[in-house]
Amino acid sequence: MSRNFQVSLLSLASLTLSFGTFCSPAQAAKPTDPLAVAANVDRILNENLAEEGVAPADLTADEDFLRRVSIDLTGRIPTPAEMTRFGLDPDPRKREKKIEELLSSPDFAHNWSAYWRDVIFMRATEQRAQPLQGVFQMWIREKFENNAPWDEIVTEMLTSTGDVRDNGATGLFLAHAGDATELASETSRLFLGIQIQCANCHDHPTDTWTRQQFHELAAYFPRVRVQQRPQAMPPTFEVSSFDVNRSGGREILNNPERLFRGLDQNRDGKLSEQEAKRAQRFAAVFQRILGVGDTDQDGMLSLEEFKNLPMPPQGRRQTTEYFMPNLEDPAAPGTRLDPVFFVDGDAAPREMRDIERRTELAQKVTDPNNEWFAKSYVNRIWTELLGVGFYPLVDDMGPLRDVRHEEALETLAEGFVASGYDIRWVFRTILNSEAYQRTLDTPSGLQTNDSCELACATPVRLRAEQILSSLMMLSGQTETDRDIPVGRGPGSRRNSPQAQFVALFGFDPSTPQDEVSGDIPQSLFMMNSPLISQLVSSRGNGPLARLLRQYDSDEDALRELYVLVLSREPSEYELNKCKEYIYDVQNRNEAFEDVMWCLVNSSEFITRR
Amino acid sequence: MSTSIHELIQWGRRGFSRRRFLHTVSAAGVAAGTLGFRDLMSLQAADLRKRHKAVIMLWMNGGPSQMETFDPKPNHENGGETSVISTAVPGIRIAEPWSQIASVLDRCAVIRSFTNKEGNHRRATYQLHTGYVPSGSVKHPSLGSNVAQQIGDENLDIPTVVSIGRPDGSGAGFLGVEYDPFFINNPGQRPDNTQMAVGGDRYQRRLNLFESLQQDFAQRGADQVVENHNAIYGKAADLVRSPRLSAFELDDEPASLREKYGESQFGRGCLLARRLVEQGVSYVEVVSNGWDTHFDNFDRIGELAGQVDPATAALILDLEDRGMLDDTLVVWMGEFGRTPRVNGRGGRDHFPRVFNGLMAGGGVRGGQVIGASTADGNDILDRPVSVPDLFHSICHAIGVDPEFENMSPLGRPMKIVEGGSVVNELFS
Repeated sequence: MSRNFQVSLLSLASLTLSFGTFCSPAQAAKPTDPLAVAANVDRILNENLAEEGVAPADLTADEDFLRRVSIDLTGRIPTPAEMTRFGLDPDPRKREKKIEELLSSPDFAHNWSAYWRDVIFMRATEQRAQPLQGVFQMWIREKFENNAPWDEIVTEMLTSTGDVRDNGATGLFLAHAGDATELASETSRLFLGIQIQCANCHDHPTDTWTRQQFHELAAYFPRVRVQQRPQAMPPTFEVSSFDVNRSGGREILNNPERLFRGLDQNRDGKLSEQEAKRAQRFAAVFQRILGVGDTDQDGMLSLEEFKNLPMPPQGRRQTTEYFMPNLEDPAAPGTRLDPVFFVDGDAAPREMRDIERRTELAQKVTDPNNEWFAKSYVNRIWTELLGVGFYPLVDDMGPLRDVRHEEALETLAEGFVASGYDIRWVFRTILNSEAYQRTLDTPSGLQTNDSCELACATPVRLRAEQILSSLMMLSGQTETDRDIPVGRGPGSRRNSPQAQFVALFGFDPSTPQDEVSGDIPQSLFMMNSPLISQLVSSRGNGPLARLLRQYDSDEDALRELYVLVLSREPSEYELNKCKEYIYDVQNRNEAFEDVMWCLVNSSEFITRR
Repeated sequence: MSTSIHELIQWGRRGFSRRRFLHTVSAAGVAAGTLGFRDLMSLQAADLRKRHKAVIMLWMNGGPSQMETFDPKPNHENGGETSVISTAVPGIRIAEPWSQIASVLDRCAVIRSFTNKEGNHRRATYQLHTGYVPSGSVKHPSLGSNVAQQIGDENLDIPTVVSIGRPDGSGAGFLGVEYDPFFINNPGQRPDNTQMAVGGDRYQRRLNLFESLQQDFAQRGADQVVENHNAIYGKAADLVRSPRLSAFELDDEPASLREKYGESQFGRGCLLARRLVEQGVSYVEVVSNGWDTHFDNFDRIGELAGQVDPATAALILDLEDRGMLDDTLVVWMGEFGRTPRVNGRGGRDHFPRVFNGLMAGGGVRGGQVIGASTADGNDILDRPVSVPDLFHSICHAIGVDPEFENMSPLGRPMKIVEGGSVVNELFS
């Protein structure tokens, strides 16, 4: 941890002590004023850039700022009316005001709930989780609506239990079917920004973590069970704790007569499928057991057959403790490990129950003394908003990684902790910084855009739902569709046009910007799909038809069209190209359809500039 | 000489035409007789473009069990309930559900000694597609993208690398969007949205306007974004107007042949793969899902084999009938194998230490087994084959220089394959 960070914590502590009250850190004014912190971050960045001989680019024009902040907060481009109102507002603090306004819009919560849904489910290892991602999205959206602090959200995710259709907080467990090693690697990657899973099979090649430390993290999760609920329609899963004493689960098998009597309801000395169905756990495996043990093939199990059933091997699923696999002998049970949190090296007490383990882990993860919790959130949001992070990857930080402008990151992380992990504080601070509000133009002293880093803005590709909401806005639907579909079963979620679009244009939001690119099927959709053809049609009552009726002058119509689709006026060059085109085509409607098609298909439309 | 090549390749990262490079070399170098090994390989690649070598990768997603495919253990408890059948080659026996592959085994080499260390699906899938373990900082190109870059026909108006399904690591990585595979989900159907929205002349007119209107944004600081966008749109526009587009549909294949491949997603994928290779595509991957058999391993593999067995055998025979098998390498594999010991749920878990695969065509000598595992299946007994060895062998079969260096974003040349060597027995 940095020295600065500790100093500020100390001073906070002393403040609290001297007032002798239960004053929360959020009330300690200094480090939490977003504008002051933003200015501080800008100062640090500008000093660093000056040292490298780079002058930062200018601040963007209002139109670019509004488009950028609308996409980032509400998930769609602004309407022409919003553009006009913002452009005409004389208030010198109108950007700050706009940020506040959009932060309190319900679209903010919706937009970022889709982001986190993709962050988690794009990496799901349990495919049966896919139809249920909407439950998680609704849950986290409500958290964002209520401005729940980040530590509370993460704690609820890590300690959740229950039916996955009722409790969306179970999303991460569902996405990995409760697998301890997957949960360990995702907990670390998502909430700490550390890829400790590379230490799964060998000590981390480029970090300090050891293989044992990774598996000790997994040891917080061995008692999590995610099981499909038998006979439930629509299909669903239950996240529960598997806390029976180590002997308890198997002891019952040591007394088969008693178990048999309990199951044999009609006392005929045979277990039928009917009887098996009464016991949930047993019903799920009855057919398989029958296949193995029904020696006289009468479709039922006698006591004799029941007693002769082979004992299930003591697989990992049957244990309440975590065993690190032996790489030399995969068939061996492995080494038992107890939970230890790798960041501070603290061991948890032994034999803790599932919920105790997970609560302990959540406390460790969200502890203000764990610098990675705040840093990873701040770095992730910063990267999403600016296109470039302090670390090259949002989910691969850690002490040995290259970090740029570390002091700026620490300033933000410090403020985030002091704000009580207020997620809107992070947005408010970053969006009000000059760093966020720069133009795309390459500043002097640099040659190409891709090396300008934070001296200028980086073009960022819109996420699937941002493109879709923007297309919907063009067609006149300014109210974002906030309906979140939840599938009844596998595949059902894929059927709605919205889900198909998201499947086609979606990408893992943890991917760095320079690796996000389109593909041919996406281009084909924008070029040829009926949805786009209809959108650019000059007939009927579509946006283009209305615009052409309203403006007789081609130039006026062109300007309006550019404002509508690209949220800016056309350049002289563009205006001339389009006018030339209209003249050549000799058919106003057809020519304008082509122009609108070009704008919707442009790289600029699907990019945040 | 090799220094200057590096410079040229580095240049290539910014859109330098490789064709022009070959031209330069052949004009100057060949005449002067001063070409090094790598230059000759490059020239050979130009030759191979004409001969049209190709790879069809049959990918068993999830990690196929070696014991239930081509390395059964009938005499050991680890073998489970799987029985064995004899094949077209005396002495080689494989697992029971694979009767059709058994009948063409004289065309196939079975490799029973793949070995690796990566037991996580995503990481292993990435490694088996790119030849490299995942690293945070570099997105490695897939083998398919490398092959497309090396021997893909640059004048082909459909994508030179096609993937039916989308495994990790199958993208072009730092080679750039130009070499990204064309991903499709429903083999046999015309790809979505390939019907031109307006008439041909107007379409062309639109595209011209589109190109000229992209310039301003490029100049405003988004040049790389616009360049990528235009590259993809160029390929999409070519595809829409290509007469070869009908290759994606299977309607004109005789019913009897379609039946041999099987009316399954995987069967249609294999038939499509053959049609695409016929049209000049260099690399096609066909994915079969469902191989992660932690539960009910035996029944589930039986079901999977019902699709994969006939399709694979039909593909090999069809390629042979058309005289394409010598130039087309068919590879059957997955990201790892499965534990020899059967778990408590009648399943097998991840096991990268020993796994198996199949190769046919592309000069591979059929009817042989490479390597062996121990009687209990826990170890390699003979002739381990690593991932780099496998990649070397695939490259060898289609005449690609596995040590060809591309400039990685870290500013360091990176070979298609690092380490390893060709499994020579495959080709002798």
